[in-house]
Amino acid sequence: MASSSISKAEKSYIQAGLLANPPRRADGRSLHDFRAISLETGVAPLSNGSARLRIGGNPHDGSGGTDILAAVKLEVESIQGDALDGGRIACNVSCSPSAYSHLSSGALEDLQYDLTMVLHQTLSHPSLHPKNLGIIPRKKSWLLNLDLLITADAGNIYDALFLAARAALWDTKVPRTRSVEYKSPKTLSSASGDMDIDQDTTSGFDTRNVAHATDFELPDYWDEGEILEGRERWPAAITLNLVNTVHFLDATLHEEASCASRLLVVHSYESPTSPTVQSIRLLGSDELSIPHLKNLIKEAESYTKAMVTSLTAKLEDENFRRNQKARERFGKRK
Amino acid sequence: MFEFTSFRQHADNQFSQNVPEDIDMNEDDEDFLETGGLKLTWPGESLTSAQDYMRGHGTYVDNEEVIASVCGLVERVNKLITVRAVRTRYNPEVGDLVVGRITEVQPRRWKVDGNSRQDAVLMLSSVNLPGGVQRRKLESDELQMRSFFEEGDLLVAEVQAFFGDGTMSLHTRSLSYGKLRNGQLVTVPPILVRRLKSHFISLPCGVDLILGLNGYIWVSKHVKENEREGEEAFDAEAVYSNQNDDIDDSTRMAISRVTNLITILASHSIPLTDTILLDAYDWSLEYEGDVKDLLQGDAGDALVATILAKG
Repeated sequence: MASSSISKAEKSYIQAGLLANPPRRADGRSLHDFRAISLETGVAPLSNGSARLRIGGNPHDGSGGTDILAAVKLEVESIQGDALDGGRIACNVSCSPSAYSHLSSGALEDLQYDLTMVLHQTLSHPSLHPKNLGIIPRKKSWLLNLDLLITADAGNIYDALFLAARAALWDTKVPRTRSVEYKSPKTLSSASGDMDIDQDTTSGFDTRNVAHATDFELPDYWDEGEILEGRERWPAAITLNLVNTVHFLDATLHEEASCASRLLVVHSYESPTSPTVQSIRLLGSDELSIPHLKNLIKEAESYTKAMVTSLTAKLEDENFRRNQKARERFGKRK
Repeated sequence: MFEFTSFRQHADNQFSQNVPEDIDMNEDDEDFLETGGLKLTWPGESLTSAQDYMRGHGTYVDNEEVIASVCGLVERVNKLITVRAVRTRYNPEVGDLVVGRITEVQPRRWKVDGNSRQDAVLMLSSVNLPGGVQRRKLESDELQMRSFFEEGDLLVAEVQAFFGDGTMSLHTRSLSYGKLRNGQLVTVPPILVRRLKSHFISLPCGVDLILGLNGYIWVSKHVKENEREGEEAFDAEAVYSNQNDDIDDSTRMAISRVTNLITILASHSIPLTDTILLDAYDWSLEYEGDVKDLLQGDAGDALVATILAKG
């Protein structure tokens, strides 16, 4: 039973270590060190994109880290009435009870709701919306379900969730679709022989460009398709844990319990140089002065930049690895 | 700053490598029914007929068959079949030294998380009260229980007895037991802490260890024998204090180092003893790299290889 409360002595030990010169943390990291992050994409074969992420697991048996599974499933949705065209995004975070054995089911639901709201509000924002989620204008579109499952929590859950979400969305492939139109059969009227009837001529005065497509078909296999438009826009988050005037990254559970407030900053990088702030949240009870906050946001920018750069490199590696693996398997079959 | 790695790919033959060769994985034979036979089982495996044998811990009966409900070793005593699980919570025994954390303050007792199936109980009557070791508890003590232990506090205690429902009752009526400070906690599977002559270990690097048999290990700054509080007279201020001493940089480093070493050894399922910890500490001093690097990459594997070679 891992309880999240810690004693006053532990708290002051951790705080004194963070404020010492040089700063010391429980596992010997410096203030701005991250634990190693393991990442794998394409872990759920039935999804359109998936990723598994672990922060700080033991390199030998993988125990004792924050473990997250993320998967994207696309679903066809009929657009009713004046609903938004071009698809929707719905995020959902579920926490496994084994990851939070000290929480009651009610508290667990609250936590799930909190995490879901942060993620959903950030990722479903119109500025991040991919343009290729529509199928037939005003009739059909894709509903992108992003589900994240927390199987273990060893701290720094927000950063991990956003990283996993970004990896899964990066991996997502939207199936190609082709619209299908129904036209009234011409054979019926032409069967009547030489009767001279005007038929099926479109008026030259009709300038309306009405889409007649009513349905669609999938030209490819299900697992093929094109990547989500604008996938480099998906944001990255960094949590700055604040103790007095210093901040540190990637807190463990005990460290989280011993700092009064945390600042979550989410950045999106459409171009590599100018990030846009997608979301800011101050978690905890402490107050923060505006100049200090400005400084922290500026610092956060450099962290998310480094994070996005290395995550993108890793995702491209993953892509390469999977392609190679698929080729090998194909070669073996012959 | 951000290091992305891949998940370690498990070789297909890894599992069979770790299993001793004399364990027969064949489902059909019932060798374990012979004395001394070893058999690994997993949840849902049918062990034997329920008509001939009785079900014990870790098994259940379905369709006239005894079926394992946990993964572990099958044991048989006469007609009783039990499965001893590979990974379990701590099974307390009277006299065990445990490290626990207070979860609740109740009338005349504390609830303590001891990594066991149920929370342990620490009665007000089984702690040392200020002003004399042998003193009856008063009503005023009941009212200020939080001044002794409050929620979240860590303590070291001994298992005193069991209640009817199997809950363990703890006591701290010794000067070496009580509240913990000046350090940090590390958790390992309880099975890796053997019963030793002493569970209070002082490493020469200025670090004290308390190996709780429940898998909670307290790593703290070394306190000299003669400076230990309450040696002559019991000093409640010092014993129930939440204040840490000043801890210098090298001690902090040593505490982190020992913590990381314990994590590595635990992940390789190596039982913790003072000699192994000392060997590991010596190895880590020679290891080029920082304390944090111990938890990265292959450092742990190299350490374990050295330890096992010394074996």
